[in-house]
Amino acid sequence: MSVSAPEVPAKPARGMRIDFKTVGPLLALVLLVLLGISLNENFLSYNNITNVLARSSFIGIIAIGATFVITAGGLDLSVGSMAAVVAGVMIIVMNALIPSMGVSVGVVLIGMLAGLAVGGAAGIGNGLMVTRGRIEAFIVTLGTMGIFRSLVTFLADGGTLSLNFNVADLYRPVYYNGILGVPWPIIVFALVAIGGEIVMRRTAFGRYCAAIGSSEQVSRYSSINVDNVRLITYIVQGILVGVAVLLYVPRLGSASSTTGVLWELEAIAAVIIGGTTLKGGYGRIWGTVVGVIILGLIGNILNLQSFISPYLNGAFQGVIIILAVLLQRGRRAA
Amino acid sequence: MSDPQDSAVRPILAAHRISKSFGEIPVLFSIDFDVRPGEVHAIIGENGAGKSTLIKILSGIEQPTSGTIEYDGQTVTLPPNGQAEAMGIVLIHQELNLAEDLTVADSIFLGRELKRYGFLQSGEMRRRAAEILDTLHVHVDPDARIRSLSIADKQMVEIAKAISRDARVLIMDEPTAVLSVGETQTLFDQIRRLTARGVAVVFISHKLDEIMQLAQRVTVLRDGQLIATVGTEALTPDSIAQMMVGRELSNLYPPKHEPDVDAPVVLSVRHLSAPGVHDISFDLRKGEILGFAGLIGSGRTAIAEAVVGLARRSEGEVELEGKPVNFTRVAQSVDAGIAYMTKDRKGKGLLLNMGLRPNLTLLTLKRHLRMGFLDSASEERALERSVRRFDIRARDASVAVGRLSGGNQQKLMLGKTMESEPDIIIMDEPTRGIDVGTKQQIYHIIAALAAEGKSIILISSELQEVIGLSHRVAVIRTGRLAGVLEGAEIAEEEIMRYAAGIKQGGHNERISA
Amino acid sequence: MKLIKTLLAATVLAGALGGAAIAQDKVTIGVSVPAADHGWTGGVNYFAQQTIDRLSKVYPDATFVFASAADAPKQIADIEDMVSTRNIDALVILPGDPDAMTSAIKQVKDAGKFVTVVDRQLSIDGVEDLYVAGDNPGLGTNTANYFKEAMPDGGNIVVLRGLPIPIDQQRVDAFMAGIEGTNIKVLDDEFANWNRDDGFKVMQDFLTRFPDIKGVWAQDDDTAVGAIEAIKQAGREDEMFIVGGAGMQQMIQRVADGDKLMPVDVSYNPAMISTAIELTTAHAVGGVPVSGRYILESTLITQENASEFLDEESPF
Repeated sequence: MSVSAPEVPAKPARGMRIDFKTVGPLLALVLLVLLGISLNENFLSYNNITNVLARSSFIGIIAIGATFVITAGGLDLSVGSMAAVVAGVMIIVMNALIPSMGVSVGVVLIGMLAGLAVGGAAGIGNGLMVTRGRIEAFIVTLGTMGIFRSLVTFLADGGTLSLNFNVADLYRPVYYNGILGVPWPIIVFALVAIGGEIVMRRTAFGRYCAAIGSSEQVSRYSSINVDNVRLITYIVQGILVGVAVLLYVPRLGSASSTTGVLWELEAIAAVIIGGTTLKGGYGRIWGTVVGVIILGLIGNILNLQSFISPYLNGAFQGVIIILAVLLQRGRRAA
Repeated sequence: MSDPQDSAVRPILAAHRISKSFGEIPVLFSIDFDVRPGEVHAIIGENGAGKSTLIKILSGIEQPTSGTIEYDGQTVTLPPNGQAEAMGIVLIHQELNLAEDLTVADSIFLGRELKRYGFLQSGEMRRRAAEILDTLHVHVDPDARIRSLSIADKQMVEIAKAISRDARVLIMDEPTAVLSVGETQTLFDQIRRLTARGVAVVFISHKLDEIMQLAQRVTVLRDGQLIATVGTEALTPDSIAQMMVGRELSNLYPPKHEPDVDAPVVLSVRHLSAPGVHDISFDLRKGEILGFAGLIGSGRTAIAEAVVGLARRSEGEVELEGKPVNFTRVAQSVDAGIAYMTKDRKGKGLLLNMGLRPNLTLLTLKRHLRMGFLDSASEERALERSVRRFDIRARDASVAVGRLSGGNQQKLMLGKTMESEPDIIIMDEPTRGIDVGTKQQIYHIIAALAAEGKSIILISSELQEVIGLSHRVAVIRTGRLAGVLEGAEIAEEEIMRYAAGIKQGGHNERISA
Repeated sequence: MKLIKTLLAATVLAGALGGAAIAQDKVTIGVSVPAADHGWTGGVNYFAQQTIDRLSKVYPDATFVFASAADAPKQIADIEDMVSTRNIDALVILPGDPDAMTSAIKQVKDAGKFVTVVDRQLSIDGVEDLYVAGDNPGLGTNTANYFKEAMPDGGNIVVLRGLPIPIDQQRVDAFMAGIEGTNIKVLDDEFANWNRDDGFKVMQDFLTRFPDIKGVWAQDDDTAVGAIEAIKQAGREDEMFIVGGAGMQQMIQRVADGDKLMPVDVSYNPAMISTAIELTTAHAVGGVPVSGRYILESTLITQENASEFLDEESPF
């Protein structure tokens, strides 16, 4: 039997249409790169590129976690403060182990494990309050943001926690060295990004995140354990904060109450620039990676020129961010 | 093309040779349409026939590609975005356009709030809202939140809103799709009161009997063409259906195969209580279609949700093939072979922003894993299978399912439910808001499933549907089992007697027939 | 742990307050400072508490109310509470954002309290009885003098500024005036927000951009810590020297050790809060007449005098 309608039997279409939603962030990135090249001949130099990517990697790794949280309809404002606490705890743990273990790789490894554990635990805390406690994610993580921030101030005694100089020397290569000239932070960032993309696209968990963010009810009626999936997104976020801090601590070997300030906003901004919807339901990791690099390049370009007054740095940043999102709209309104 | 009643009366709203294309695709071809004061003019046609586009043009939401609109004798260009309301043309959408968290009074005055010195006059608005609701004989508290109202009451609020705007033309897109029989009658009384005051009503419905009952004239559309505009007294439901489909529409319901009285009981529910459900007991046999009839809000959905683990049961037992089960999560019931297909396909059934494939496989995603990763080829095969089996039509598989017609959404949801290969399927309003052609397809699918040995619980507010398909009918009233009918007892009047509480009990011995 | 100390101090304060209600000639002094959001303010908090502990023993008749605020509204609320509920006789305040707080501080003054403002100048004159501050222009001038001496033939330098607030402007203006007429050329300046991470990033990009840098003025020691790591990463520590500011212990140690990269530091001591509290207490308890402006000199810390500035106890 036939239904007379301008619709035809569904043909599974494989080919992806090139549209602005996909190309938008890439376009913004290309424009920024061109701007950078025109401003400074060293922009594309090996050193500059590795510098920008390596220092973007912390936000990048955190933003990949945030992509999952946001795709599943959640939000985590506590990541910046959480990073500071993780850094603080790692430094305290490593300093405390020196008397018994001496300056050894073991100390660094235990410190790293402690960092991952603290991040994971913080994620579990956030996730449980959101899923079991039924409290708005915004409120929960706003609360923990304050808690973590004062916790690090308390741990640092209002000042700065510094890693023992000798351990710092041992740990330092984790930020500054790498394989074949690619620094470790970039390698880890790339691995996390590839892993994230696979999980988002090719696993049931990724699909469930999008489904829950799209409609919690539909997901529940489709036999998805909504609470567990949400909880896992927060735990993943916490652990990735831990991973990011593993790379951050060796850079300066210190943590203070200013560590990680506003990282949460940078991470969320990167996620949204990359095309993930803030209210959930659609997320893409590669977009987030592009978003992070865009944010990193903005800061870099501002430092590489001298005709924009440093007083206007924030304005330039704002314009680029809005532009990047605007490009995704493309000419849809036509 | 005649209206014997009063063809002398000049139409208030008329469309002349209206055509409309979206991009390259024409959807309306040179349509003439008019409605007179005090008249109900129904528009009917299959999904995709162009009904929605026509009323969008009549209310100014879309502009015609060619042709003219005449309002009150003047050729006009209707303003977009619902501003035609100010001129007295009000469209009530199928998905009611109410903000769920506003109060009834706020909703009625939304966009034209009464103000003094820039401040809202809440008291005055409440008073006037109550007045309007009173004239409509609607018993709704002006301070109630829209969220707390039944769908029927929400619709009444929409009508009150229209009246408060002094509507001269009221256009209603399938207002009865989600109403029970009683509620439909209340709505019709309301519409008759409005037409008595000279309001012109344009009315879209899939329900032929309603149109016969309410409308003076009917316009039939098919494939964007005007087939006919005829006075209802010259028509029968059959002749309308024939015009719609363009062919003889026989056998809307497939023949019932005889139920096998010796077939084993696959699902047995005893003394089940849950929120909105009181002491329900029934049996379902292999290969049986058990209808659940009752008024909207009578607790049929609550029973289904308590059985599959979407709601906590407070008391009672459920046995599946003789083994007691207590599902607390949907995943468990799906694994055990019971699937529930929700009536709320937009809110609970489908992810409207996603394509066909992720929707189809969402319930059974675990089956498409290979070494822990999703196997898109396997999903693709499932989609191809379902598209063929359920005749799902879409421009391409990546189109967001929110943009499919209701019928195709319903068929996709059926495909999704059947992906779990259930032995027992609970279908909640499986044909709500879809056209006759697709309804017939779905009826045949349901009958075929039963013939294959699947057991089906069919929850429906369309009595004809329950009667036409079910082997037995359980009538639910206020969360309780009012009675179970079978064989010759399955008739409209008898069901209504139980549903309305006139008749009760009686057949309890047959509950576990 | 300092928190314990704080708690102790608070207990002592509470006890002292109980006594204050009975004895008429006792005085209450409010101390309000910004929260420890970076190393220097951390030092302020530390020295304020240390001084309060010490003075509480010296002056049994004096009671101190101490509060640390994360932002201007909180700090305003703190001093309003001090006036209305603790009935202070004198207020020592280091305003986080002086412009935003001027009128609130004026109200304290109008209520007849003795007001001491520390470090940051209010937007109108004549509100405070006593002004105690570091020498911001002096910091810039001292640094400029060192650059002139270290680079007699001139050369290229870069400047890492602080936060865009008046103090930063005063320092930079004085520095620029100081190097005027020399061959020292400022290639560019960017805000690094007195912060290690930003110091690292800005310095990395300066190193990318400018192949020839002889000197770096980081203005703040936290910024300098980040900048040093960037210079080390680029392997260019032999090409340039860096001058910080404020006198962080870790940095003074480097100076004392004769670090080529960090030859000098310039003091801008958070202990100025101690001076302010001491002067105010002396006035309130003993009636010692103090008023006007006390500007604590900004000193160049070199390898020779570094030992005078080292303090094992200081967290800063």
